[in-house]
Amino acid sequence: MTTSTSTTAAAASSASSSAPSSGPSSSAVPAVRPPVRAGGPSPAALVGIEVRKSLSTRSGRSLAVGGMLLAPAATAVVAAASDETLGSVTGPLGVMGVLTGLVLLSLGVLATAGEWSHRTVQTTHLLVPRRGRVLAAKAVAVALLGAVAAAVAAALTVAVLAGLADGASWDGAGRAVGVFVAAGAVFAVTGAGVGAALANTPAAMTTLYLLVLGVLPIVRTFQPEVGSKADPAEAVLALSQGQAVTQSVLVLTGWVVVSLVAGAVVTRRRAVA
Amino acid sequence: MIEVSGLTKQYGSRTVVDDVSFVLEPGTVTGFLGPNGAGKSTTLRMMTGLVAATAGSTRIDGRPYDALANPAAVVGTLLDASAVHPGRTGRTHLRLMAATVGVPAARADEVLELVGLPDAAGRRIGGYSLGMRQRLGIAGALLADPPVLVFDEPANGLDPEGIRWMRDLLRGHAARGGTVLLSSHLLGEVESTVDRLLVIGAGRIVADGPVSDLLGSEGTAVHAADPAALSRALETAGFHVQHGADGALVVPGAEPGDVGAVAAAGGHVLTDLRPVRRGIEDLFFQLTA
Repeated sequence: MTTSTSTTAAAASSASSSAPSSGPSSSAVPAVRPPVRAGGPSPAALVGIEVRKSLSTRSGRSLAVGGMLLAPAATAVVAAASDETLGSVTGPLGVMGVLTGLVLLSLGVLATAGEWSHRTVQTTHLLVPRRGRVLAAKAVAVALLGAVAAAVAAALTVAVLAGLADGASWDGAGRAVGVFVAAGAVFAVTGAGVGAALANTPAAMTTLYLLVLGVLPIVRTFQPEVGSKADPAEAVLALSQGQAVTQSVLVLTGWVVVSLVAGAVVTRRRAVA
Repeated sequence: MIEVSGLTKQYGSRTVVDDVSFVLEPGTVTGFLGPNGAGKSTTLRMMTGLVAATAGSTRIDGRPYDALANPAAVVGTLLDASAVHPGRTGRTHLRLMAATVGVPAARADEVLELVGLPDAAGRRIGGYSLGMRQRLGIAGALLADPPVLVFDEPANGLDPEGIRWMRDLLRGHAARGGTVLLSSHLLGEVESTVDRLLVIGAGRIVADGPVSDLLGSEGTAVHAADPAALSRALETAGFHVQHGADGALVVPGAEPGDVGAVAAAGGHVLTDLRPVRRGIEDLFFQLTA
């Protein structure tokens, strides 16, 4: 194999000997360096990249679509099966907001823990060594994805309720939809924080679902006041009906802050294998 | 220029990298050679900020890796070719990297062609062979055409054609003034690629120098039509002769020319005459004994 004597890499000539070298950037193998951005990616660019990462895997896409469709599908099934007249749509909207949030929790986990499980975190931090910036971008990205998926789910759920729940009261439906969307973002960000803290997808998912679906309901049975001060699902249900607003907002904020802080501490310190 | 100074990594009381220092100059290919577990990968991870050093520092153009504004524009790194998401296609993987590094998205297809993977661009990485993943990893390192390349065991999984391709790539990069550091546990993979060897054993740099100096001649192996007669002639001339496998005579400390001169003077017929090169295994044993 003869190698090029120009500034082109020797292997370049072997890999694409047929490519015409008509200019610095037009050939498959540029004779000069490609245009490279001088600094690191902007925060907005990093958020966009993280959104693309989440949606570039089948599991990420499935969870986003699942989050959009589960609530309207479940609403249709329940409404069709039930003979009782619905009093208000805010109750079902709250329940469906929690259900959607539980799906989006996994979307958040995959965005952070998934990188450790697949070890793609290596490339991520080789390209952006400032790990805190990456985690912040992931949090914003999954918040956006969670809010958008939940907004679609809420809109479809409203449509199903409008068609199937005759005579129900729509008072407070706007607030319930807002809570539905916010819950999507909150659950997704919480998943991202816990995923970053545990750096392991199965561990993060098991921990979160055991906590939200197992431990907290049991605790609530014996000590209702503890449940209402810690349970994110109960906070979403209360908020969508306009109850215990301050406490519920505090509970959800607490989940986001604690999980993100734990995630940030681990993300900064953990050695990348 | 890359300056590594006093890099040390301890896990509890165990020291896996012990006071490693070296300087890499532009225009050179340096082989980072050592057995598995010698500390090569840990050193490379400390250099690139993935693992915190217990002591010591790395300066790339005078700054630590994590202080570089856009590190991939300066250092192209391939540490673990299997650290990729199996569900993404090669092209998607590289486009995400391109967006992060800040090069045009079209650059993904350019580097895929450069590494010989254009046909696999739209396939999921889960279906790639290890050799293809190495090529994909090299493609990622080349996105911004950085002046420095750091590859950890890039020859793993490459076939002989692939190893030759990589040698041409790295030699070409150095010829353009680039700096290359590649690690391996097999000398044969890198000896014709590198200018200089950094040999690491049990966490310490045990040798650092040009390949020819470190793996210089140990002596001469010779096959003769009448080995017994040649053996007597060599011993008469003052050489110590050992009997190697398959009838070869091994003359430690002798150059092929010395042995040839003895053979010519005595009219011995030689069927093979070659220098005995020290193997990397021997070098390790000698240096780490």
